[in-house]
Formats: sequence, structure tokens, C-alpha cells
Amino acid sequence: MYIFLECKKIKHTGLLPAFLSCGMLAGAVPIVNMAVRSKLYLSGQGSPVQILLQANWQLMAMLNILAVIAGTCMFYQIEHSERALLKMRSLPVSESTVFFGKAVLAILLSAVMLAIEAGAAAFCVYYWFETGNVFLSELCQSFGYAFLLMLPCTVLSLLISEACTNIWISLGIGIVCMFTATMLPADSFFPSLFPYAVPFQIFTDTEAARIIHYIYATAVELVILCLAELLFIRIRRQSA
Amino acid sequence: MNFLTLIRIERKKIKHSKIFFILLAAAIILWIPSILNVHLNFEMQAEGISPEHNFFIQGFLGLSWFMFPASIIIGTVLISQTERADNAILKMLALPVHTAGLCLAKFATLLILAAAQVFIMTGMYYASAALCSAMQHYNFILPPLFAAKEAALLFLSAIPMAAFFWMLSVCIKSPLFSICIGLASIVPSVLVINTDAWFAYPMSYPFFLITSEYSRLAANLETAQAELFPWIPVAVMITFICLLISCMRFGQAERRA
Repeated sequence: MYIFLECKKIKHTGLLPAFLSCGMLAGAVPIVNMAVRSKLYLSGQGSPVQILLQANWQLMAMLNILAVIAGTCMFYQIEHSERALLKMRSLPVSESTVFFGKAVLAILLSAVMLAIEAGAAAFCVYYWFETGNVFLSELCQSFGYAFLLMLPCTVLSLLISEACTNIWISLGIGIVCMFTATMLPADSFFPSLFPYAVPFQIFTDTEAARIIHYIYATAVELVILCLAELLFIRIRRQSA
Repeated sequence: MNFLTLIRIERKKIKHSKIFFILLAAAIILWIPSILNVHLNFEMQAEGISPEHNFFIQGFLGLSWFMFPASIIIGTVLISQTERADNAILKMLALPVHTAGLCLAKFATLLILAAAQVFIMTGMYYASAALCSAMQHYNFILPPLFAAKEAALLFLSAIPMAAFFWMLSVCIKSPLFSICIGLASIVPSVLVINTDAWFAYPMSYPFFLITSEYSRLAANLETAQAELFPWIPVAVMITFICLLISCMRFGQAERRA
């Protein structure tokens, strides 16, 4: 399986510890917030998961996106340095397989990161709100939704880092895109579909019809990005 | 080789890096929402700030909280990675140049990039202020002396932060970790500026400074003012320690290998 080769490649890049520590850092946000201001949140309206996400998700989503941007830059930095990508081309592996192998790995890593955050959120509800186990399905839905919304951002960042040979250009584009996302109005539907803005959406704050719209939109974005990747490879091969 | 020659060489190395496009893109994107929402500047009576000052300070707040620190991190990546490709740093270390001088020249280049960012930002401010003045028939353009003073303060307050990020990129060989630690350290600065110990956290200086300028310009807003003591001694200490560590560690891993 090709993906195991990719796993081997990232062994010494520190990608796994980076994603793990970012998950822990983002997970620490709600815990610290609850430890310092628990009275304010315990008296809040809504379900515990909703209160937690409303208070902390902005910061957590930002950390997640930053981890994804930096991580995806690294995924192709190891190929661009020492011209490893050229050697990859001489192997009987298509370039799109390389890309999708990396994409699957990046998505898995971000899933691990989100799982750590979900664990931290579960700890907060368990420890401070004392509501038993009723919150678990809501929590799983919220983080599953967050995971889905994270996908376009991951694939787009990977595509940018494949296109730019220099790591500072791909990092710069990613950061500028994220900065743009923080300035877009979050309540209007179409601006919030920007791949770097959509992970800021919160499951518990959105009505059911809107959630379906977001899921469809994410799927459409993913298909467009995959097609863009195939097109990009074709153009680059012809121009090379 | 004297120090100025070293800086000139460093500037030559990043000439074709296309970094200015990224700095320019950030400055343009930053001012677009301000231009689109220019009418909101007339609804700030509660804070007691004049529309032209509000227009200026909102843009600079947007820059100082995230984009400015992040572009310094991009600068550190640029400066350290151009040297790592094809082991160019080994060739530089083989020259009869003091490594500490080389390290400081690179740091000076980083500061030049930061100054360029502030300069582009101020230029874009005047372009967008002129545009808004024509759109709203109200003079949004502030005297150049005021804008230059704020821009200079923003730049000066970022020096300790730049020293810290430079130390990260020198000491941590994997670019991934230096980027991640740097970016992650920017995010909490929103929380740190509300505490009493903000002066111990260099990443919060630019944002704190612009916030305190905002409350100085707005008559009805009460936030903490920047007090020079103990801020300046602590900032100088942090800068000095970070530069000392980076000068000591610079090129050490390459020489040992």
C-alpha cells in the first residue's frame, strides 16, 4: 500500500508529535477556560457542549487550521528539498497517488488532533457540568462535523504546498488565506464557505437545514479541489 | 567584511524570494473590509473617537494582532530555509566571517522585512483613506507625522518578538516545529494583553501597544495604558537574551555534522 511509504517518509519530520501537541494545546483551551471562569459558564444557557464550543471554538479552530497549514507545508517540503519529487516521478507511482496518499495521511492526523480535543471537551463536561453520559452523542456529532468541515482546508493547503516549491510561499499563502477567513462575516452563508473560514462553524449553533447545506458545500468543494489537483498535474507535466 | 556588507549580501539572497507579494497581499486584504464598512466609522460616538482615527486604528489593530507576527515568522522561515537548501549555510560558515556577525546580519534582514511590512501597510492606509474620503465626502486622511509615529511604534514594539522568533528558528532545526511553536504563541496574545503580566510576553507587545493607542484616542474607553516601566527593561532583556542564545547556537548543528 502506498500510504505506508508516506508514513515512513514523515517519520523524522516530527509531523505526528506536532499534530499531537497542537491537539493537546487546543484541548487545553476549554480546560483552562473552565478552570478559571467556571461560574460564568455553568450559569450559561444551552447544553454543556454548546456552551463549551461557543466559548472556545474560535481559538481551537484557529489552532487547528494553523497546524494543518504548517503540517501540509511540511508534507511537500520533504519532497521539494533535494528534488525528491523528481525521483518519485521515476517510480511506477502516479503523481496523483502521491498527492492523495499525503492527503489521506494529513486527514488522519487532523482526525487524531480533533479526537484529542473531543476528549478534552468530554473531560470538561464530565468534571464541571456533571450531566452524566447524555452529552456524548452531541459531542461526537459536533466533532464529526468539525472534522468534515476541516477537509477542504486540508486538501487546499496540500495543493498549495505542492504547487509552490518554496516553503515560505506556501506558508505565506496559507497564513494570508487564514487571515482573510478571520475577517469574513461568519453569519452569511457564501463567504463562510471559503475553505479556511468554514472550520470556524459550530455544529450546535447551526440549525439542521443549514448543517445539511454546509455538508453538501464541503463535498462540492472537495470534488472541485480533487479535480483541480488532477488538472494541475496534467498542466505541470505538459509544461515541464 | 563589515556588518553593512553582510546585510547587503543577505538582502541579495532574498531578492528573488517573492516575499513582497505576500506582504502586499496581506496589506491589501487587510484594508478591503475597512473600505467596505467605512460607514461604521461614523457610529463610534459611544467610544468618543473621531471617524478618521477609528479608520486608522482599526486597520492597524487587524495587522498587529495576527498578520504582523505571522509575517515575521514567514520571514524567519524564508531566511533560514534559503540557506539550508543545497547546504548553502556550510559555504557561508566556511568564509572568514564571525558566525555571530552572520547571525545578527540575518536578524537585521528580518527587521528590514518587518519594516517593509509596516511601510507597505502605511502606504496602503493612505491609498484606502484617499479612496474612502472620495467615497464618503469626508476627510479620512491623517497627518503623515501621526501615521509615521504609530507605524514606528508598531515596528519598535515588534523587535523583542522578532528576536524570539529568530531564536526559535535558529535553535530548532525542524522548520515545522519552529513554525508551529511561533504560530501557536501568537494565538494567546489576545488573552495575555488583559493580564497584568503582559510585559513578560513579547508576542503581545504590538497588539497591546495599538490597543492602548486606541484607548488614548477614544475619550470614553478605559483600557490599560502602556507604562514604560517595567516594560522597556524587560523587553530589552528578552531581546538581548534571545539574540545571545541565537548567536551562540547559530551554525552549531551544521559544524558538528
